[in-house]
Amino acid sequence: MFILTKIADLVQIPPSQFEQHSRVAIENNINAKYSNRVIQKIGLCICMYDLLWASEGLIGHGNGLVNVNVEFRMIVFRPFKGETLFGMISSANADGIKIRTNFFEEIFVSYKELPENTEYDHNEKAWVWVVDEDRMHYDKNEMVRFQVLDEAWNDQLPDSGGQEALDRARSVSPYALKGSMFKEGLGVCLWW
Amino acid sequence: MRVLEAQNAVLTNVEVYTFLQNQAKEYQAQKRRGPSNLETLRGEVINYFETYPGPLSQKPLPYDVNAIPELLKKLKAYNISKGECIMIMNLRPTGTVVLNAVLEDMEGRFTEQQQEEIVNIITEVLGAFPEEEEAAEEGEEDAMETT
Repeated sequence: MFILTKIADLVQIPPSQFEQHSRVAIENNINAKYSNRVIQKIGLCICMYDLLWASEGLIGHGNGLVNVNVEFRMIVFRPFKGETLFGMISSANADGIKIRTNFFEEIFVSYKELPENTEYDHNEKAWVWVVDEDRMHYDKNEMVRFQVLDEAWNDQLPDSGGQEALDRARSVSPYALKGSMFKEGLGVCLWW
Repeated sequence: MRVLEAQNAVLTNVEVYTFLQNQAKEYQAQKRRGPSNLETLRGEVINYFETYPGPLSQKPLPYDVNAIPELLKKLKAYNISKGECIMIMNLRPTGTVVLNAVLEDMEGRFTEQQQEEIVNIITEVLGAFPEEEEAAEEGEEDAMETT
């Protein structure tokens, strides 16, 4: 689920943070920039794991910022293809089931990736797996195991400078997962 | 920003959990708060790990980071891939059906006896939820409700 990614960057520490230890100021600046953000083709950044190297601080002309070149490792949420994870059903529609974790919401399981004999109940807005006489519901907020099939990246670059294009680009999530609950052992945790 | 190495290492959930818990404690001891985006996300990730039926929801913790080399050593004979070992650490399958969700082509690769052996190793190293006790407790609650 989680990997470490090695990153090099320039950290700029404003004078207001000079009373902090450099180690603390650098860590806070890195986390403020990366934490809970998606890097394309890398994943969702959680927080700095360790600081590998930092240059001497150089004061920039005109603004008093201290510039520090750093190399660090970042904890990143990036499940591999085929990985099985825990998730929670957040909603369902006729196309499939949406799953989330506490910190990541963009997971979708298409109806094609549910076991055979599964049908959608329009009244309850839930998928139901019919095994012999039993009707087993994929209820909202139920904990499930699902397998990651594929990932989708969207760099959110607007196709023009207009506000509309900007909003449209932002409305698509930068990182989304496609999952499956087809295999035996996947699906609602209570069943197995 | 420049990515020097996309994947330097893979971490299991218990490692990330331990790291975040220690960070929270350290920050508290130093009376400092991280940036708000980090504070929020840290809480969410910790909550995720502590959600039942995740193994880290069990208190006291059923295993710590020292269990990783022990598990790898004991599973070595079964030719289980690194990715599969990570999933075993994270999901702790304590029955063969759930193990099937973690191992690729389980029935083709392992006999039923081997599957049982793998489950036994997992339970031995990573523990399990106390099933009977829980069932008994639920039974008691039911009994109380009916009386």
